[in-house]
This record gives sequence, C-alpha cells and structure tokens, in this order.
Amino acid sequence: MKTVIRDFIFQELIFVTDPKQFSDDDDLLEAGLDSMGIMRLIIFIEEQYGITLPDTEIEPDNVQNFNALEQWILKHKNK
Amino acid sequence: MSNQNIIERINPADSFTLAMDQEIRNDGLPGSYGCFALEFISSPNIPVLQSRIKELSERFPIILSSLQQHGKHFFWCKREKAPKLFFQHHCPSNQEEDAFHKDQIDSLINYRKNREDISPMEFHFITGSQKHTLLIRWIHPFCDARGTELILKFLCTDDINLRMKFGTPETKPLVNIQLEKYRWWQRINLFFKGKNFIKKLDTLPSIQPLTNTNAPKKLNFLIQRLTESESQQVTQLARKHVGITGTSLYYIGCLMRALDTFYTTHQGEAYCVPYAFNLRKQRAVTPMTGNHICALFAQAPRNILDNREELFNYLKKQNHDMIRNQQDYAFLPLMWAGSWLSLNDYGKVLRLTDSGSERSSFWFSDIGQLNFPNNKFIDSEIKSIFHMCQVTTPPGLAFLSCIYKDRLTFSYSFIEPLTNCEQIKMLQDIVRLELLGQS
Repeated sequence: MKTVIRDFIFQELIFVTDPKQFSDDDDLLEAGLDSMGIMRLIIFIEEQYGITLPDTEIEPDNVQNFNALEQWILKHKNK
Repeated sequence: MSNQNIIERINPADSFTLAMDQEIRNDGLPGSYGCFALEFISSPNIPVLQSRIKELSERFPIILSSLQQHGKHFFWCKREKAPKLFFQHHCPSNQEEDAFHKDQIDSLINYRKNREDISPMEFHFITGSQKHTLLIRWIHPFCDARGTELILKFLCTDDINLRMKFGTPETKPLVNIQLEKYRWWQRINLFFKGKNFIKKLDTLPSIQPLTNTNAPKKLNFLIQRLTESESQQVTQLARKHVGITGTSLYYIGCLMRALDTFYTTHQGEAYCVPYAFNLRKQRAVTPMTGNHICALFAQAPRNILDNREELFNYLKKQNHDMIRNQQDYAFLPLMWAGSWLSLNDYGKVLRLTDSGSERSSFWFSDIGQLNFPNNKFIDSEIKSIFHMCQVTTPPGLAFLSCIYKDRLTFSYSFIEPLTNCEQIKMLQDIVRLELLGQS
C-alpha cells in the first residue's frame, strides 16, 4: 500500500531529490505537502481503495508521514 | 519578424495570463504585472546580486526576450539588443525615505510600455541610508509567482552546483504534460465539465464591491501584516473552520464578509473569486519560467454571508467537490481552446458572463509560506516580503497573501479611483476582525 502512495506523492505532489532516502516516518508536511496536495492525495486514496476518508479526520496527525497515512487508511479499509 | 528570432511559443496557461494582460491594457492600465518586494535590514551585496542576475540571464535567456505576435499566436523572440535587467534608485539625502520608497514602487508598478518592448522581468533596488528594498517586476506571461520565488531562490543560492540544479531537468509546460494524460474524448468531457461549471457559477450575478463609474487611473497597494501571535490565532481559526486543506478559503471568506459589511450599496447575489493553483510539484526547482497554473473559483451566495460557520462550510464543500469532480483539471482544455482565440475574445470569455457582466468580485492569490535560508538574501537579512499585482477593472481589487517569518501578510492591490487608501484601510480593519474571529 505504501509503495502505491509513495509513487503517487513523489510523482505528482512533492519533489524530493532521492525518494528512496525519504523514510516512512519523515514529515510529508515539512517536505512540502500542501493543502491542495492533501486534497489530491485523499481523492487518490479513496479511488484506489474504495473507501471514504471523512473530512473531519483530515488533520495533520493523519497525513504527517507514510506510517500515519497507512494507519488512517487501514482504519477505514477494515470497517 | 523572422522565424529565426523565435525562442519559444507561449503555453496555454501563458495565453490565459496574456489575455488578462490585454484586458488590463484595454482598461488603460500598464498590463499584467506581478511584483515581489523584499525589504532588507541592510543592503545586500550588489556586485554579487548583479553577477547572479547576469548568470540567470545566461541560463534562462528568455528573460531577455520580447513577447511578439506571429500570426495567431504569441512567441518569446530574441531582441537585437539585450535589455537592462538591474536598476538602482538612490534616495536623495533631502528626501524622506519611506515616501521615496513608496513613490518608487508606485511608479514601477504603474510603468507603461508596449508589450513588445518591455523586459519580461526587471530587478529594481531602491535604497537609502535606512531602507533597502528589492522590487522584482515581471509581466505575467513570463512566469507565475511561484516561478518568481524560484528565481529569487536561484539568486540567493551561494553554491554554484546548487544553482545549476535550478530549471533542470527541462520539462515541457506542465499544462501540456497534464493535458497529455487525458485521451481526446476525456479532454472533450473535461472541456464540457469546465464549461458547465462556469455556466452554473454565472446563474448568480456577481457582486462588484468597487463599482465606480470613474475611469481607472493607477494601481495602488496597502500591506497588512499580522503579528506572530495573531497569525497563529488565524491559522488555528482557519483550521477549525475549513480544515488543513482550505486555509486560503478562510482568507477569502473573511474578505467576502468584510466587503459585504463595508461596501453596502452594491448589487449582485454572490461573491465569485477566481484563484490559481499551481501545477508544479512542491519543492521542485523546475520549471522556472512560464505559467504553470490552472484556475479555480470560490463562490458564495450573499444570503449565507451573515453566518460565518455556514459560509466556511459552504466554501469548504464547494472546494472539496470541485477537486473530487476534477473540476480543477477541467479548466485545462478550456485554457487550451482559449489560446486559439484572439486576446480580446478570450478576455471576454474569461471575464464576462453571457449577460455581459463581470464574473470576478475580486482576485485572490495565496503563495503560502516563503522560506529563505536563514531568512537571508545574498548576505542581507530579509525583514519582510510582500507582493502585488495589476488587476482588471472591474473588479479593481486583488487580495494576495503570504507568510514570512511566521507572520501573515496580506497585500491589497487596488485600482484608483475605484477606491482609495482611506477606504482600503477601513476595510483592512474589518478584515482583521474577521480573520481573528472578533466580528
């Protein structure tokens, strides 16, 4: 799951010199993920995994890094 | 003009901003300028700045070109003689410095020149014994605000190896790359989606707060800088009302409410605000030049403005729906199709509803957080930054925001005599209360 999300983020939303060096705990917001990027990411995730991520849960804690994103997605995927 | 002089053809997003340049010129104003002003604590190293500007022009020679029409289309073309890019303006010892700086900026943002003759970008260093400002002025088809930010970063990067990374790898315009992701029938679908979206917007006549029958004379600007703690408070309120994905909508909503409180005599049923989003990847150092933007709209009916909660929920839902329905990318084929129209026809399509009234209530741009290493620009600390832009009349008002050193800065670019400094100052007071949730 993380690979798919990583590819989307690095291909479409954020430029990093070497994506392989970007760990699952590194801060995506610090790396430049902005509001428009978060919206695009959420829509991508919803389409990719057939889930709905509630607007009320769009908060820094859930999108801060790849691990947090995965936890957030799994929470809704397993519902 | 011979084809040998052509450097490159402008892209569909450049055409979009060029149509606005024509509209602004049709209003008797100088054209679609964007400006950044960097205010320094002390003077930066001028010889270094000059040599970096020279290096910039060698790496990106388009900065020395002339924008010319060739048949139906516009092209960046070589000039016989390279234009001067860097200018210095010294405050005479008998003049008051604040007034000198303001006068210089006023005259630079209102400077009139033919489109073919004007340099795509100029750097003006305004200096005195106490105050030092670098004003960067560009014409909008040359680049967008994010491109100018990249150019500033190029200029203040000391390591030549890092400077070499700017603009590489060279890419096609991002608008074209994005369009190529769609097959032809998908583009047609998007085209009609975009058209229908605008048709829906146009069912509510837009409010024109600055309606005034006097002919536009000049652009003026006022800056509103919040303190760090006020900025923090605004960020928290924005997060509460519109979430982390809609900070810009909070600023837009606050200005809508303030305008509705202050300018009470205007007609119309909704505020309609065009704004651009950037197709660049965040942190990417390319493309430097050209426009890589697409338009979006925020619209709010007047009858919900009284209720802050309802207004922000409405704007947030509209924005989410727009992105979920790919309404944002729907404007790409529209921009492509528009680039085949004459500038005057394209300008009308962009600005006017079917009934001939202006669609925009004000223009908006948010460039977000600006970061420079150690807050320095070529050895000199940057005290503050603001930006300005020319705007069509109507609406005659552009509301621009950025964050520098944790302080929110709002720039009000407005056309006189549609409004004036006194009125904008009063409006700023109301906006401030709105932003801080104290209205």
